[in-house]
Amino acid sequence: MEKGLGMLEKFHVAKEDIIHIEEERLRSVTKEILMTQDISEKDALLATDALIKADLRGVESHGVSNMLRAYLGAFKSNSLNPKPNWKIVKETASCATINSDNGLGIVVAPQAMEIAVEKAKKTGAGIVTMNNCGHLGMLAYHSMIASDNDMIGTTMAACSPRMVPTYSSVRALGTNPISYSAPADKLPDFVFDAAMTSVAGNKIVLASRLNVPLSPGWIADKDGNPIMEEVNIEELNHEDESKNLENRYNKGYISSSVDLLPFGGTREIGSHKGYSMAVVVDILAGILNGTRTAPTGEYKNQGHFVAAYDIDAFMDKKEFKELMDRYLQSFLDLPSNSEGKKVVYAGYLESIEESKRSEFGIPLHKEVVDWFKKISVELNTETL
Amino acid sequence: MLERFHVPHDEEIRIEYSELRRLSVEILIKSGMNKKHAEIASDVLLKADVRGVDTHGVSNMLRNYVQYFNEGSANPRPNWKITRETESCATVDSDKGLGVVVVPLCMEIAIEKAKKTGVGLVSIGNGRHLGMAAYHAMMALDHDMIGTCMTSSTTNVVPTHAAIPGIGTNPIAVAAPALKKAPFVFDAATSAIATNKVRVAQRIGVPLAPGWITDEKGNPIMVDTPLKQSDDPNDVAGIMQTPVGATRELGSHKGFSLGMVVDILGSILNGSLAGPLRTFKAHQNHFVAAYSIDAFTELNKFKEMMDEYLQILEDLPPVEGQKRVLYAGLMEEETTIERMEKGIPLHPEVVNWFKDICSELSINFDINGKGVGDA
Repeated sequence: MEKGLGMLEKFHVAKEDIIHIEEERLRSVTKEILMTQDISEKDALLATDALIKADLRGVESHGVSNMLRAYLGAFKSNSLNPKPNWKIVKETASCATINSDNGLGIVVAPQAMEIAVEKAKKTGAGIVTMNNCGHLGMLAYHSMIASDNDMIGTTMAACSPRMVPTYSSVRALGTNPISYSAPADKLPDFVFDAAMTSVAGNKIVLASRLNVPLSPGWIADKDGNPIMEEVNIEELNHEDESKNLENRYNKGYISSSVDLLPFGGTREIGSHKGYSMAVVVDILAGILNGTRTAPTGEYKNQGHFVAAYDIDAFMDKKEFKELMDRYLQSFLDLPSNSEGKKVVYAGYLESIEESKRSEFGIPLHKEVVDWFKKISVELNTETL
Repeated sequence: MLERFHVPHDEEIRIEYSELRRLSVEILIKSGMNKKHAEIASDVLLKADVRGVDTHGVSNMLRNYVQYFNEGSANPRPNWKITRETESCATVDSDKGLGVVVVPLCMEIAIEKAKKTGVGLVSIGNGRHLGMAAYHAMMALDHDMIGTCMTSSTTNVVPTHAAIPGIGTNPIAVAAPALKKAPFVFDAATSAIATNKVRVAQRIGVPLAPGWITDEKGNPIMVDTPLKQSDDPNDVAGIMQTPVGATRELGSHKGFSLGMVVDILGSILNGSLAGPLRTFKAHQNHFVAAYSIDAFTELNKFKEMMDEYLQILEDLPPVEGQKRVLYAGLMEEETTIERMEKGIPLHPEVVNWFKDICSELSINFDINGKGVGDA
């Protein structure tokens, strides 16, 4: 992978630990595994597509490696409903609120985004919020449904508490990611997807697995103060992080005791902006649909927000896409600072990675391949 | 705002809200605006001053606006119009009108649309400076809606890994109502700090903190950086800012990308050039949206839950050395109450500017502000 805005180098799986799996193979195995959980074939296809898209785009933290077993854990512990009877509970010409019936986010949200896109075709904008919902996977997946329809897409997820707000000594907010995507003509689409913490919660899981240190400004110490030097997870005075992995995979929830900082790290570098953007996500993806978000009482499920804005409602879409090409190219053409890394925009490296992985297969950590082998025996499904 | 940005108490001169508003309206009328527009613009400016957002109030902005009119870079009598429209969306051409006038009028359009369909979005091209973005987002509050406002602005910010500026400070504002508590009102540049904060730092003579600007090769400077003291707002030219996060590892790519979102919604979506393509400095384009809460959930339930949510944030135990945990909009509400009662504190340099401009434009500078005579 080219150096730049994609995932930090340290999160990439070491060459000797990689086994490449062909996309179609991984798809079919993943779908079969999901279908053992009493999920309909249609829903299993939706969920598989969202997971594989993350793996194809190099967003390993949200692909099969971490999430498939977390979802299985959640079904096993009955914290997710495999056959959700989700429904619209409130609706206007441009808006809707959905009760997800405790279904998986990667199943309900793509369908919610389809509703938003249909509304946007009529009025110019469609917005759908979801309550009582499970994990959303890689948010960009849902936003990209809009950009594939020549619309600007947005996705937000109000998650369980991991973030220590600026000046707080305890965690109160989720990592609360935000995603936007906007179509270009010939260049890869602009696709932004980021947690409002310095790093996504899943990246801590990755760091545990890959045994790499955490960067300054990522996490807080046990009193809530930003740790501004590099730190190893084992060095922290926290309970064993492997217990988190275990809970993650067996029960489907995060039990990590590592508190994350809002992006920015400290107040002076702008952590209050990461913190406040996380509040915006709690309001739009949570409170707006009645979800009791992170700090308000016992956390159970997630709330989500998707929106589609039809470009055609604002201007000629061909003209927009051509202008996007010029705009995006102008960043690629900027000279680099002394570090010498190429200037890229969100979605650019992911798109290159997607073409590469579609052709040469998806690189999985050998530990993940072992898990697939074990689970196929357990569930009596075809093996990877 | 960080303590270092406040006007030192022993230097401040307090002027009453209504007096300052009168001066602002008269100055803008003398500069070519009609009365209605001058009043809208003054409301936007004064709202920043009473909320303690001194960077975007009369001190910095009024003189810029007067200068734009004088040099012809902004149109005091814009014939702004809707160029494309659907039930929920509209595109507006500002005709070079100031955003402090055109954007509130566009937010009204968004609110009307949201009353019908649940949401209203307006993308505004060919525009100029809009003042404090929060003002426009907050207009939605009176209608029990959630408001958003973004501005795609002049390129002062160096994108992640780049050597030269390529994107604006591109602020995002979001406002959401509560029941009894101060509403949540977030308004922040997607750069580490707003360019106006650099201006304030220069006037007050304080150093810039680590992670706010880059060296001449685009590398983020991670130590305190002194600035030469200057009253000239144009001295910020040549200062290169960082996105929020400062470095890639702290998340500067997130600040940079959010800045791009603002460019796309505020500029590209109405056909304007943005980012490195920008050609004209004063050109600023905008995006506003209003989301009707009633379209998604029961209004009262929402507001009660907001109260509960915001109270929990406020009640979080602070880290050692801090008095309390805040949420965006809380301190601004407290400042509003204090300043409506005690007047708006201005730096003596600003009061002198008012005296000069009033004398130049034959406006009666007769105010009852405490200590004005000493300035």
